[in-house]
Amino acid sequence: MMLRKRVITVLTLNDGTLFRTKLFTPDYRYTLNFVDAWSVDEIVMFDVTRGDTPDRQKFFDAVSNFAQSCFVPIAVGGGIRSLDDVKRYMDAGGDKVVINTGALERPELISEIAETYGAQCVVLSIDAKRDGDRFDVMSHSGSQTTGRDAVSWAIEGEKLGAGEILITSIERDGALQGYDLELCAAVADAVSLPVQVLGGCGNWKHMVSAFEIPGVSAACTQNIYHFTEQSISSAKKFLASKGHPVRV
Amino acid sequence: MIGIIDYGLGNLRSVLGAIEKLGFQGTISSEPNDLSRADKLILPGVGAFGDGIKNLKSRGLIDPLNDLVTKQRKPILGICLGFQLLSEGSEEYGDHKGLGWIPGQVKRIEPGPEQLRVPHVGWNDFQQTRDSILFDDVPDPALFYFVHSYYLDTDANTTVGTCTYAVPMTAAVQRGNVFGTQFHPEKSQQHGLTVLKNFLERA
Repeated sequence: MMLRKRVITVLTLNDGTLFRTKLFTPDYRYTLNFVDAWSVDEIVMFDVTRGDTPDRQKFFDAVSNFAQSCFVPIAVGGGIRSLDDVKRYMDAGGDKVVINTGALERPELISEIAETYGAQCVVLSIDAKRDGDRFDVMSHSGSQTTGRDAVSWAIEGEKLGAGEILITSIERDGALQGYDLELCAAVADAVSLPVQVLGGCGNWKHMVSAFEIPGVSAACTQNIYHFTEQSISSAKKFLASKGHPVRV
Repeated sequence: MIGIIDYGLGNLRSVLGAIEKLGFQGTISSEPNDLSRADKLILPGVGAFGDGIKNLKSRGLIDPLNDLVTKQRKPILGICLGFQLLSEGSEEYGDHKGLGWIPGQVKRIEPGPEQLRVPHVGWNDFQQTRDSILFDDVPDPALFYFVHSYYLDTDANTTVGTCTYAVPMTAAVQRGNVFGTQFHPEKSQQHGLTVLKNFLERA
């Protein structure tokens, strides 16, 4: 009887089309089957449509499509700056929102969302890049350095009312060489929130290593299923065989 | 027709999607007239307790819902925040009065000696403690998706099932025509859909 570790699929969409994150090469295998609907524990959908005022309608349509077919939680994000944005993303079918640059620009956004929708609705996403023995927070899809320290920002995010932290290693993203375990551990140790980790998962052993860190409650992947025939259920069978409680 | 109560906070589309998947028709509305025509009501929920009650009030829904649920005895299912709103009150972001259809208070989850992380997020075992039509054809225990920082502290006669996170807590209730689940049936795959189906067909 215990809370299961989560295996989360991250989908990045540009103008409603699924993109592989590395090099942003389009991948047209955008189907619901792709996310192994009965095995996935949760789905994260990011909109990376560019422009000053990007038209997100196709993204919202894609979220609605998933929400009507996959009966698991869907976290949505990409460009959220205000409570009005949150409402639009939630109306499309999101159950919680993921904020990143919006919170860096205006940290009180975290509190505003928490007070309106509850803390559990706010996932603070932190893109981090190594700088010596510390981790720099990056903004704008990992393109700009902020001078903030990732661990301090996670602590501040918790104080402001975030319900979960999603920590991404920018350098590992797409590399399939494993999560940055030092980064995951530093953040998971610093906060008392559930922590999701992203960036670098290339095989199921990488998930096991992440789950061995206390406080890591979810392993997120985005590229791995593009490169392998393996399904989420096979990942879960492997995790279970290594003693990690998962929903199989 | 199933009336999904729109008070500006719930994940209404997800609930409607699940109902339609089960072959039922639903309407999302904050109009008392629409809701009074519905056979059954669902009070969904993603949000904070204080805002939930404030929004129900500002839409003029408290009195009509009291009439529909306590006088006309229309079946109602509260989900997550909607489930907590059925109670007498909550301490979330200040003290707030609830709808008062089931006894008990909503309290913050304490991490306990195990230093568990709050919110309680993810799939956890649900154990049935009393018979309820909600859990017909559902294995015991079964996994459901939870996401909450507060829990309802209610009595054993109201509780029909519990989950354990640091301590056992009420995860589903039934009191007459009033049903509620702390977990999200619309987000809990096949077992969640079975719970919704039971409410739609048997409540």
